[in-house]
Amino acid sequence: MLATMLADSLFGPFFRKYFYYYDSYPVVIQIAIFLTGVAIVTTVLAYSSILFRRGRGYLVEVRTKKINTFLDNLITDHIIFNEDVMNGVPLADVQIESAPFKKPVFKQKWVRQALISRLMYFTSSFSGDRNVLFRRLFLELELEKLSFKKIKSFFLSTKIVGLVELTTMGVAVADVIILPLTNSRNRKLRSEARIAYIKLSKNDPFKFFDDATEPLLLWDQLELYKIITTTEGLNIPNFARWITYSPNKSIISFCLKLVIHYNQHEAIPAIIRLLDNKDHYLRVDAINALGKLKAEEVEDRLVSIYNHQPTRCQIEILKSLGRFSSGNQVNFLRNEFLRSTDFDLKKNAARSLINHGRETKEVVQLLLETASPENAIILKHCMNPLIKY
Amino acid sequence: MNKQSYIEIIGQFYEGAVFIYGTTLLIIYAILAMLSLSAIQKFYKQDKHIDYKLLLTSKLTPGISVIAPAFNEALTIIENVHSLLNLNYPKYEVIIINDGSTDDTLDKMIREFDLAEVDFAYNELLKTKPVKRIFRSTNQAYSKLVVVDKENGKAKADASNAGINVSSFDHFLCTDVDSILDRDTLMKLVKPIMEQGRKRVIATGATLRMANSCIIEQGFMQRVVVPRQTLPRFQEVEYIRSFVMGKMGWSVINCVPNVSGGLGLFDKDIAINAGGYDPQSFGEDMELVIRMMTFCINYKIEYAIEYIPVTLCWTEGPSTLKVFGRQRTRWARGLAQLMFSHRKLLFNPSYGRLGLIVMPYNFLFELLAPIIEFLGILYYIYIIFMNQVNWPYAIILLVFVYTYAIMISTLSILWDQLTHHTYKTWREVAILCITAFFEMLVYHPLIVFYAIKGYYNFLANRKHTWGNMQRQGFGGPRPVIQPT
Repeated sequence: MLATMLADSLFGPFFRKYFYYYDSYPVVIQIAIFLTGVAIVTTVLAYSSILFRRGRGYLVEVRTKKINTFLDNLITDHIIFNEDVMNGVPLADVQIESAPFKKPVFKQKWVRQALISRLMYFTSSFSGDRNVLFRRLFLELELEKLSFKKIKSFFLSTKIVGLVELTTMGVAVADVIILPLTNSRNRKLRSEARIAYIKLSKNDPFKFFDDATEPLLLWDQLELYKIITTTEGLNIPNFARWITYSPNKSIISFCLKLVIHYNQHEAIPAIIRLLDNKDHYLRVDAINALGKLKAEEVEDRLVSIYNHQPTRCQIEILKSLGRFSSGNQVNFLRNEFLRSTDFDLKKNAARSLINHGRETKEVVQLLLETASPENAIILKHCMNPLIKY
Repeated sequence: MNKQSYIEIIGQFYEGAVFIYGTTLLIIYAILAMLSLSAIQKFYKQDKHIDYKLLLTSKLTPGISVIAPAFNEALTIIENVHSLLNLNYPKYEVIIINDGSTDDTLDKMIREFDLAEVDFAYNELLKTKPVKRIFRSTNQAYSKLVVVDKENGKAKADASNAGINVSSFDHFLCTDVDSILDRDTLMKLVKPIMEQGRKRVIATGATLRMANSCIIEQGFMQRVVVPRQTLPRFQEVEYIRSFVMGKMGWSVINCVPNVSGGLGLFDKDIAINAGGYDPQSFGEDMELVIRMMTFCINYKIEYAIEYIPVTLCWTEGPSTLKVFGRQRTRWARGLAQLMFSHRKLLFNPSYGRLGLIVMPYNFLFELLAPIIEFLGILYYIYIIFMNQVNWPYAIILLVFVYTYAIMISTLSILWDQLTHHTYKTWREVAILCITAFFEMLVYHPLIVFYAIKGYYNFLANRKHTWGNMQRQGFGGPRPVIQPT
């Protein structure tokens, strides 16, 4: 009905003028004529859009290529091959000639934006002294003002761009600006804000761990892990704090990974408490962390809870016993290998026994001699250096 | 009432039903076009800021098993395996399943990759034809490679299942050994899985295109070219429409019906629990996805199937009518088989979107469409003979359907162009746009014909002969392979 009314008001006069019988057509035919018109117009618009976009894309490409060459030359001459740096002048005393960067061409916004992009590119490609100079140039040219303006934008995608620029260039941002964004409903903004907060916050870079209500997705963890483990001068806290108190499971899981990375043995008591957690995925992570931290003191506890755990946790316990290789649980591993009916449990028990090395060489040899064909092949699989997993 | 009146009533009913059917289909296409546009724009807005290289050095990168069955691929196997071993990803294994090849596929791999037979503890989680031997490379450079030698299972599904049984990681990528993968395939496909929140991402897929005429060097794509041959060119337009518009649109409302057998990353746990690939199925890829969804619903697992609008895989499309016909007949038979075996899901509200959207759409607009079209042609012929056609109206309606179909194909090409320039020259895009004009007149009738043939084969339970599919290969001599 609506389509007919719309068709009538928009195209009615046209059709009445040129198609005398239009009004006498059945509604279905009138709609068909209207939609045919829509289809033709849309198709023509689509062609125009393809042409326009390709044309514009080509022009932008040419323009960008040209300006990037110009900017790269400037940056290379004045920063990368800066005379003072080459002559070993202390960084604080290095002079950057900023006049070439203040030529009239830089008054154009797109050129300034291109300069930001190139500085970000060089900052990611270089390290050390040069990065300090890139940052200094960024600030001297007041390019950070553009980035801050973006953070204040209404559009989330523009906010993200601003945050990425400031994070890459290492420009400090007030906590009050970033902190609310670390819990944004927009996943990408939230993720970039968290990265920015860790990298740029002067006070407590891990503060957002306390208030994070949204989950830290695996991809977010990947990004944060990189930032945390590569940012120089970051004060690494004891992650046991969040392992104990955080209500956010993903934060706990992430902290366990950081505990492993920083080998924080002081977090072991907090991790042991996680063994009573109802979430078995968290228990898997906790057992994994204990194994990688070689927390041998917990092996009796792991063996005692073994039978009450789901398979995932049992596999992780077997792996941990292999990582400890203390020799105290050889009988348990041997029995589990012989007794278990689950293929993965058998395999992991065997692998952990073999991981003990010389200590269990005789046990493994004896098992091999007396094993059923199925068990023998599992043992051979685990002993074969060509097979990783 | 006389006989004539009955025919008239049936005719009127048919016309009315077809009108509603056609209108619904057109509305669905329009909705899909809008949904896919929003999904593509959202993807690229976010993707601009993504540093995929993070995956290359991180300890948190999840492992992936790449599974590629091979049957009589001796001519190209070495190059193909090399390209699979050189994907940009730090933690993956490549599992090649030699599915009882009768040529020297296996011998060539043994020589090239320094393979040695190992005592491998094979856990047959999914039933397959017997696995004879498993090989690993003694050369550290190929430590990612696992070669499984098994008896021929007469289906890709059987070989893929053997690959799943051997795989070590929680996710597996299923592909064809002769497909060309983008170097960043694994990085791009794993991201939606790493971004899963409340819902478990059980499968991810990406766009596939025709490799015919493309420039390929050492197993990697150097330049994408629109196929020069007519049949593959029609398939290129069809694939763009199906992946860029169809699957991207469906993914917005979590109703993706299928992850292509040519390229798909799957959650191994769910795939195994769902029973793996069905070797009896003619459409094993869609069959697996439907069973995975069913499993998730039965066990109250909130799931998602994601698609990304990036072309990551190129496959050689049939360039002769004979091979094309065989492929499409098999696909149609697979769809009929799937709908029959999963008929309990159809319109079943207990299965949510699967029962109320995915299955009904595929039943009404994929399975029934060729039948309705075929009946329509017969009806048309009948009313022409009876001189009952209102020619002006008939022409108006035909022009409408024709222009609408062109519009949908053109929009798909535009959506594809919105984000990245797959084709180097505007001339290639123009060729695709022109192809859309002939698709309905030349290509579509073929699809309808082979679909009807496939349904007939299914109903008559005719034995399927696989036959030999002549492929051109990518630059090398012509290999003769059997489609699995």
